[in-house]
Amino acid sequence: MAYEVSIFLENKIGHFERITQILKKNEINIRTMSINDTSNGWGILNLLVNNPQKAYKALEAEGVSVALKEIIALEMKDESGGLHDLLLKVAQAKVNFNNANGRIIQETKSAILILDVPDIADSQKKLMENGLQILDDEKIYGN
Amino acid sequence: MMKEYWQEELEVSSRSSLEKLQIERLNKTIEYAIQSPYYNKLFNKKGISPGSIKNIAQIQDLPFTTKQDLRNNFPYGFLTLPKKEIIRLHSSSGTTGNPTVIFHNRHDINSWANLMARSLFCAGVRDTDVFQNISGYGLFTGGLGFQYGIEALGCLSIPAGAGNSKRQIKLMQDYGTTVAHAIPSYLGRLYEVFEQENLDPKKNTQLHTLVIGAEPHTEEQRQRIEAMFGVKAYNSFGLSEMNGPGVAFECTYQSGLHIWEDAFYVEIIDPETLQPVPDGEYGELVMTTLDREAMPLIRYRTRDITRIIPGKCKCGRVHRRIDRITGRTDDMFIIKGCNVFPMQIEGVLLKIPEVGSDYLITLETVNDVDEMVVEVEVKPNWFSGDIRKLDQLTKQITTQIRDEVLAKPIVKLVEKGSIPRAEGKAVRVADKRNNGLK
Repeated sequence: MAYEVSIFLENKIGHFERITQILKKNEINIRTMSINDTSNGWGILNLLVNNPQKAYKALEAEGVSVALKEIIALEMKDESGGLHDLLLKVAQAKVNFNNANGRIIQETKSAILILDVPDIADSQKKLMENGLQILDDEKIYGN
Repeated sequence: MMKEYWQEELEVSSRSSLEKLQIERLNKTIEYAIQSPYYNKLFNKKGISPGSIKNIAQIQDLPFTTKQDLRNNFPYGFLTLPKKEIIRLHSSSGTTGNPTVIFHNRHDINSWANLMARSLFCAGVRDTDVFQNISGYGLFTGGLGFQYGIEALGCLSIPAGAGNSKRQIKLMQDYGTTVAHAIPSYLGRLYEVFEQENLDPKKNTQLHTLVIGAEPHTEEQRQRIEAMFGVKAYNSFGLSEMNGPGVAFECTYQSGLHIWEDAFYVEIIDPETLQPVPDGEYGELVMTTLDREAMPLIRYRTRDITRIIPGKCKCGRVHRRIDRITGRTDDMFIIKGCNVFPMQIEGVLLKIPEVGSDYLITLETVNDVDEMVVEVEVKPNWFSGDIRKLDQLTKQITTQIRDEVLAKPIVKLVEKGSIPRAEGKAVRVADKRNNGLK
């Protein structure tokens, strides 16, 4: 099972920086990040890191509102149309997602799409039935 | 000759005849009070009996009554008459602790309506006026309290209720409203809606008078309202323990609020020493009902801070004037016309497992409207990374606070540790409203 680190963050100067400082001190490497801003003065920061459990523990120890959120990662080709081809299959599998981000993997000239879906087990089943390969943790977190 | 006063014999009599009436009514009040379980026990213990008051200064020998006394003896401990005689109750909001409830018999309702009519008459309202009462009807006293007064005075009354600005404007236009009553912060919003509708209240309505109250406001706010609507705006003061509106009212000279001393005995005390302060000095307003039968209150500590304005008013009334309320001796605050204790908000938050016990209430003025911002810390172990759950939580807290205090807050979720931890007594309310009242 792969995880993203989700953090409740007020939209105030220095708050994001406090998070990155904790991660730096604990030698956590960030692979991708996204922020969901809201109109209520706060947002949610989603981080894909090399060691989610370690990051979670470090942030939790500092009193940060943090959660490990299970995600699904799929591989695509790092070329024009790569994302489209993948999303077409995701749509055919009838899987909807709330949040997504992606990253490139240099060596294999491929890319991965990370999905935050409401029902992990059901989505995984549907994606696999439609011939999509769910990536393992090492590939997601690794270099 | 045109009538100048609603009750000339009571309004422009001499201080000595007013005092004589006060002594007479205070003795009668004690006579009623002693019929209630609460005062019966207290007076017997202290040897107070009806007819014992010979001069009005002797009132200082009587014990104070507090809001806590009312709560402790909820609901019927202060009632002097059998329930058969009671025709109405008004009560404070809230689900935490006992509410403050006041009972009225027919005499009390009529007396209140008369004081309300006198108040409006003194602000220049006449029976030829069309009066729109933009105030919540129900347990809140601003609705029915005004309604009965407007009717006693003889105006055409429009019991419009609170909110729905477009409808308020339509009512004003359809029926040619000349006087309206609302809380001051609402009038700013109403004016905005006038502007949105491309209407100018100065040209498109027949308003000449606004009555504003139930919420602290400054002279500057009054002047802004007067300029926006092109009217005279008069300050109204009341509290539900003393019926509601109609306790003190500005006359057309707008230089302080005449407090109806034939119906209420007024003292200003130092809240620390509990001794009276001289006229002109600020202190806590203490009031005794002089014309209430079902539920008289003796030396009730209102917690409102004001002063007696020394000297006579040009209008000729002998009833002394109190100044605007400048603050409270407890932590209650008034927002959107609702009395709120921080403890009520705390009570709501404590029942919601997702939030911590640290919160901060900030009162601020946004576009002329006073808002109550409640910042709440989210418990880290509850956080799941789901934005929907946080939105839901915000809505849940907003609804529950509104249900408790009747005023809708702006709820902001904040990170744990965001709210400064106070040493000793925590500061729960920051008042940043630009009404100059702290």
